Amino acid sequence: MRSERYIPYVLILPSVLFLLFLFAWPLLEALLLSVRGSGGQWTLENFQRMAADLYFKDAVKYTLLLTVVIVPLQVVMALGMAMLLGGISKGRDLFLYVWTIPLGISDLAAGIVWLAIFTERGYLNSFLQGIGVIQQPQLWLSYETPWMIFLAVVAAEVWRATAIVFVILVAGLQLIPKEYSEAAEVFGARPWQRFWKVTLPLLMPSLQVALILRTILALEVFAVVVALGGRNLPVLAGEAYYWYNAYQNPGVAAAYAVIILGISVVATILYLRLMRSKQEGAA
Amino acid sequence: MASIRVENIEKTFGKFKALNGVSLEVRDQEFVVLLGPSGCGKTTLLRIIAGLEQAEKGRVWIGDRDVSQLPPRARKIAMVFQNYAVFPHLTVFENIAFGLRMQKAAPEKLKANVERAANLMHIENLLERYPAQLSGGQRQRVAVARALAVEPEVLLMDEPLSNLDALLRLEMRAELKRLLAESRTTTLYVTHDQVEAMSLADRIAVMNTGYVVQYDEPMKVYQEPANTFVGGFIGSPPMNFLKLPVEGRQARIDSLSLDLPMAAPGPEVLLGVRPEDLEAFTVQQPQSFPAEVLVVEPLGPHLLLTLHFGQQHLKATVPPDFAVRAGQTIWLKPQPDRLRWLDPSSGQALEAR
Ligand SMILES: Nc1ncnc2c1ncn2[C@@H]1O[C@H](COP(=O)(O)OP(=O)(O)O)[C@@H](O)[C@H]1O
Ligand SMILES: [Mg+2]
Repeated sequence: MRSERYIPYVLILPSVLFLLFLFAWPLLEALLLSVRGSGGQWTLENFQRMAADLYFKDAVKYTLLLTVVIVPLQVVMALGMAMLLGGISKGRDLFLYVWTIPLGISDLAAGIVWLAIFTERGYLNSFLQGIGVIQQPQLWLSYETPWMIFLAVVAAEVWRATAIVFVILVAGLQLIPKEYSEAAEVFGARPWQRFWKVTLPLLMPSLQVALILRTILALEVFAVVVALGGRNLPVLAGEAYYWYNAYQNPGVAAAYAVIILGISVVATILYLRLMRSKQEGAA
Repeated sequence: MASIRVENIEKTFGKFKALNGVSLEVRDQEFVVLLGPSGCGKTTLLRIIAGLEQAEKGRVWIGDRDVSQLPPRARKIAMVFQNYAVFPHLTVFENIAFGLRMQKAAPEKLKANVERAANLMHIENLLERYPAQLSGGQRQRVAVARALAVEPEVLLMDEPLSNLDALLRLEMRAELKRLLAESRTTTLYVTHDQVEAMSLADRIAVMNTGYVVQYDEPMKVYQEPANTFVGGFIGSPPMNFLKLPVEGRQARIDSLSLDLPMAAPGPEVLLGVRPEDLEAFTVQQPQSFPAEVLVVEPLGPHLLLTLHFGQQHLKATVPPDFAVRAGQTIWLKPQPDRLRWLDPSSGQALEAR
């Protein structure tokens, strides 16, 4: 009987080892890498080189800008879709499946799909030419029009990753007993008031999860940007990649990684602080 | 204040008929209990009156307004839900104030009403708490206070005490009774607990399989059940039903003849008699019949006897000092003014003529 007490620990051991090996250790390695020089001495040289680089300011700017635009857009859209789904009874599953299809598409594939639309001989130009709006194919994704690349990335990311927010919110909505909304209705709340005063506050835990997850992933945006804009729209994860691969400088690449980590941690703490629900424990 | 009137309500879920043409009137300031076994359609009827569910047929009137087509918020009702549905993200104060906020009540009125409702329910010291910090009984009170604070014309309650433990239920039952007698709100109260129904109601509507089978004052429902279902459902232990042969205008139990106040529908008739309306004797008495004791259960205030008479089983409650053993034959004297006669084929009560 005594040995049963160890079973839970034995059972979680593989996953703990796995996490230590594949997350904690590389994380530590990256941190060390970023604060050590080529001779192994402690230094801030990597961070200084990173900050002095031509692309650094733009990378920070575009990464944050993309996050600030994409995440709220996704949350609002997913929330709208999830609420609409709640009002459907017939064919509900069909909508659920169709709306979650993008979940199965990798980010690079998504980038390429949107590249096929925006490229010089792409669907957008063919369409606009077809209806006679333009005579010549337009160059949409050029370094001269970074805002256009920016919008294309936003479109691709919204298309690709809204589904995960949607799934989290649908699951969250299903956890809210319908009696809360009905009680609000009986006591005089109109549909909008029910949404703002009851559904939304009760959905806070799910919203928090979705926001944290999407913000962290948005801060790491890379493949879609590379596919659509190359380095014409610099982002932090992309810079880490270029420094590691093209410049063969793991130290500066690690510094970028640490910056992304730092912003992610700050964002997560902010979400946890600002969205802390007042109710203590579950209802 | 207002009356509630429902006319011919029919409701089907898929192929299942939950309500089969229910009509019911609750008078102004009356406390009516909807009583019936689980699944008989009580909640469905309540939700239709509240407007949370749409009936296929029939109308709902509150006061002199036909509210059948109105959304819940326009019906001027308040409801206490079975699982309370107290908002977990709002304090007790804000929960109670919810309806008033929706009505955009003036701040002074809001505060006054919330405090009055909280005082009535003895939760005035919990106003700043969140529901997660409350016990089941306290949440229950918040749900009732939230309903009372809006001063509704009509109060609907769906098994509000069913989630409480026995002791608390007893206590809350008495409190609710006092409270609603004071506030004189027209109330429709759902329960499957017959003791609760008897204790609270001005009138009880007994429901079964989507029908209202009897609608009368508690003692009437108890003593003069409309059919075998009501007699069996209300009372613990339930009413005894004995099938007896008929001779002219008399029914016979062994050598005892009982006068029938009506013509019998056939060669046999069903006698309904409550266990406490059978007086027991160890020696033969006039106006009594013999029965063999199968089981003796001492329940404290009385003994519960399970007996058989011929092939039929029956129960009797006798004083605790009644000396009796299993296997013994005793004599039972039915109280003549407490007998109910029913048609054995339909189970419906026969009316005196
Ligand atoms: N939304 C629904 N869908 C399908 N069947 C339902 C629904 N609501 C109630 N029913 C059925 O209708 C019957 C009556 O239910 P209800 O009114 O909740 O009974 P009660 O409150 O008396 O226990 C039950 O058999 C129940 O299964
Ligand atoms: Mg019910």
